Amino acid sequence: MPKPNQQKFALVDCNNFYASCERVFDPKLEREPIVVLSNNDGCVIARSNEAKSLGIKMGVPYYQIKNLMIDKSVVIKSSNYPLYGDMSSRVMKVIGYYSPIQEVYSIDESFLDLSGFTLNLNTHMQSLKVQVKSWTGIPVCVGMGSTKVLAKLANRIAKKYSRFDGVFDIDKLPSERFEKLLDSVEVGDIWGIGNKSAQKLKQISINTAYDFYKADIGIIETLLGVNGKRIYRELYGYSCLPVEEVTSLKRQIVSSRSFGADLSDFDEINQALTALTRKAVNRLNQSNLATTSISIFIYTNPFRKDRACINLSKTIGISTPVSDLALLIPLVSKLLRRIYEPGYCFYKGGVILGALTLDNSQTDLFECESTKQQLKHNFGNLLYYASELGNDRWLPRAEFQSNRFTTRWNELLKI
Amino acid sequence: MNKQIQNHGGAREGAGRKKHSGKFREDTKVMRVPLSLVEQVASTLNVYKSQLKSDIEVLNPKFNAPRLSIPIFSSRVQAGFPSPADDHLEDQLDLNKHLIHHQEATFFVRAQGESMLNAGIHPGDILVVDKSLPAKSGKIVIAVVDGEFTVKRLHKYKGKVSLKAENPDFEDIEIQEGSELIIWGVVTSTIHQYA
Repeated sequence: MPKPNQQKFALVDCNNFYASCERVFDPKLEREPIVVLSNNDGCVIARSNEAKSLGIKMGVPYYQIKNLMIDKSVVIKSSNYPLYGDMSSRVMKVIGYYSPIQEVYSIDESFLDLSGFTLNLNTHMQSLKVQVKSWTGIPVCVGMGSTKVLAKLANRIAKKYSRFDGVFDIDKLPSERFEKLLDSVEVGDIWGIGNKSAQKLKQISINTAYDFYKADIGIIETLLGVNGKRIYRELYGYSCLPVEEVTSLKRQIVSSRSFGADLSDFDEINQALTALTRKAVNRLNQSNLATTSISIFIYTNPFRKDRACINLSKTIGISTPVSDLALLIPLVSKLLRRIYEPGYCFYKGGVILGALTLDNSQTDLFECESTKQQLKHNFGNLLYYASELGNDRWLPRAEFQSNRFTTRWNELLKI
Repeated sequence: MNKQIQNHGGAREGAGRKKHSGKFREDTKVMRVPLSLVEQVASTLNVYKSQLKSDIEVLNPKFNAPRLSIPIFSSRVQAGFPSPADDHLEDQLDLNKHLIHHQEATFFVRAQGESMLNAGIHPGDILVVDKSLPAKSGKIVIAVVDGEFTVKRLHKYKGKVSLKAENPDFEDIEIQEGSELIIWGVVTSTIHQYA
């Protein structure tokens, strides 16, 4: 009988997730270089392997590489979050069949706790990989290790070397090979070591993961505190970071966009902020939260040196937690009225709901809710506030967006 | 029976308890259970155990089953007579449950051409496609031939694969060597709306 594995974690990561989503609904793109642009088609936020090997870097503005992309016939896509979000939830559900303990870490990554499993974990994870691909069309790689930090590291290997067939267990590596591997990884690429920590470490010439591994734990703790110490211990195989099944309470909700056109008219900006408020409040209601602090902001484009720049923002607090769209939308308009200055071209704006608490609001004893409830019941999503309607010039550009194949009846894949 | 006499160590044949003589009469597996579900799982197991003893059919409760709008009481009892139907309430029929068996793997696509008319697929119909099902010969499939989508009936015979149209006006697609065929999913039903 196989021995139960003491502690074992897996990190399942989708390969080039956004590009893979596009490929599911357009198989012609299978071996083509694909680039996905950020909201408003600003800069590159995702690349397929083919695009990576053309030297297209993450985060470059679209206009800088426009010509290169035409030359190399790179497929350009505007980000399609409704599609990516739906595909992500499908992938995560399938991954969840493989362990009772799952942490959805990001839109395309999930940790699994495999501790105590007696079956062959390599086979178990191979069948996960095959099932996710067959059920959703999305390719994934799995890294395994006795801690989360090691699992994350193992995932890099699984992705990089095709001979492991997408599943790699780092605990199987002999120690010399493990140290050699650490030597090839930059210290900032260890999971949990952020930019600032990496810089601090580099100042005392800890440049690679190997340097970090061989450093004195006391030095690491003085430099990075208890979090750094945890990551250090995790590298040695002592699990300090458990799989977190319940995401902690959100602290704030930000809903902001770069506008599709420069806006200077009050009503146009008000339309944008009202629509963004609705998005923010939807998220507030979904998590069953209420807010006691509202901020709004509008910016002009800081890169346009030929125009006057201005950043306007305003925050107010509310004494009782609010979660009602009908209260928040007029409030946002009022705030905007106070800060708005004519004569500027605003290119970005947003709404921040802060100081969130659980929404167990006691409605006013004398407030009559029934009219509002009735309206909502009768008209549902068809009901708009007047300030939400307008010329839609604020809507972000999404020139190259594919259909929202899985969330809109009128955008289904046509065959 | 050829029983071997073992002089060496290790498990002896026939030693230990008989297989499947435990409480559950089958193999069991160790599993982690979130604290919040322990009671639910334990009570399920208890019910199961007691039912095993009495050989009654076992009904497993569904955790996190999708919420349906099931009326708990169809009639309000004010002072009069309770509805005689209350005792016979059943789940309302849910088309999703009927048509979708693997939620994560099911996609809707819209049919365009007339090549599958005789199979009942009209232009504009919504096809329910399950990506998790094996592509068996005879199934209607969404196929990708050299990067192009098509809906046809899959035909496998003596190592040859073809995609058959269900309309005499359309030609079948024989898969030649060197061309690439991917089965994207299996069509499980067609939704044709009249009004």
